[in-house]
Amino acid sequence: MSDVDPPVVLIVEDEPDVAETYKLWLQDDYEVRMAKNGEEGLEMLDESVDVVLLDRMMPGLSGDEVLESIGERSLGCRVAMVTAVEPDFDILEMGFDAYLSKPIRSQQLHDTVSNLLERSEYDSMLQEYYALVEKQATLEATKSSAELAESDEYDALTDDIAEMRDGLSETLGGIEDDSDFIATLRGLSTDEE
Amino acid sequence: MYDLSSVLDFEELRDVQPGSSILLSGPAMSGKQRLAYDILTNGARDGEGAVVVSTNDSARNIAQVFQDEVPELSDSQLGVVDCRGEGGVEADALDGTFVHQVSSPGDLTGIGIGITKAIEGLHTAGRTRGRLALVSLSTMLTYTDKKTVFKFCHVLSSRLDTADYIGVFTIDSGAHDSQTLQVIKQAFDGLIEVREAEAGGREARVLGLASEPTAWKRL
Repeated sequence: MSDVDPPVVLIVEDEPDVAETYKLWLQDDYEVRMAKNGEEGLEMLDESVDVVLLDRMMPGLSGDEVLESIGERSLGCRVAMVTAVEPDFDILEMGFDAYLSKPIRSQQLHDTVSNLLERSEYDSMLQEYYALVEKQATLEATKSSAELAESDEYDALTDDIAEMRDGLSETLGGIEDDSDFIATLRGLSTDEE
Repeated sequence: MYDLSSVLDFEELRDVQPGSSILLSGPAMSGKQRLAYDILTNGARDGEGAVVVSTNDSARNIAQVFQDEVPELSDSQLGVVDCRGEGGVEADALDGTFVHQVSSPGDLTGIGIGITKAIEGLHTAGRTRGRLALVSLSTMLTYTDKKTVFKFCHVLSSRLDTADYIGVFTIDSGAHDSQTLQVIKQAFDGLIEVREAEAGGREARVLGLASEPTAWKRL
């Protein structure tokens, strides 16, 4: 993994001290970009951003409004909302992938970012897994079982699927809590638009 | 472990691992929905939680079935996620059943929220084991494509695994092409196939839970 670029984290936060603290915590592992308000955050957002840490209470464009715009642009990034109040169950119905309650500790920030990246990976593995399964289904629907038994390609495919399946369920359980579950489903629905 | 063998008498169904998802496949009118409900009411009789995700049956009907089958059903045992998209008139009228309304069988996020709330609620009430039935995937497939349904099933299986629940999902085998069925099957740990027997009545077999498919057995 050392020859690939580090994941990109965009911090959207109007308090410079807070933003600087997050950056200090994250900069060893990630490429960190900083936006000092919602407008600037939207400007800096492009395909290369993997995770957005979005302050909810900002002057000008609020975190909620920024979140809405991100949703409309259907970028592949994950958004962690940073709030001053402990969110209730209704957070599941809002369009973000994780939430953090201020004040945030270093470990908590690291865990959230790595969890969001892991979930992106789960999504792309699931995508890949589906492609293999569909290929297998096509073969099974069009070839006789005798033909399948003799096919090396089918053999290799079956092995790949088994391996992928283990990978999905073991290394990346992916779904660790309710907000993971809902955010993953939300991702599925937007895939198809 | 979950024992489903009192509903369907197969050795393979005696010790079903928590977290398992099973596809219940058969032609229209072959009693799949009833079988799915039976699997849940059986668990409810032992104090387990039950969550029904329904695309065609009303929450009132489902609650009635459960009350008839499990007279000792308590207030904190049944959750219904109603995906028929017909609004929330009934929700208040049902005592003791958690009902969550979803706008359509294609609203996966909404269904997920309903399932989460139902499982949370049952869990808070002390139900640490439970069974979920989704009836039916065929309706969901008319609202969205097989890729999305496949992924949905996979993600939901993960959630059931975390909750130590088991899941039973019905599909109408006559309503989809063989490729679609083949794809959807892959999202499950096991498959129960139901068909009409030549001599009348129904028969079933179990695939995927052991190395070989079982023989067909009369129900």
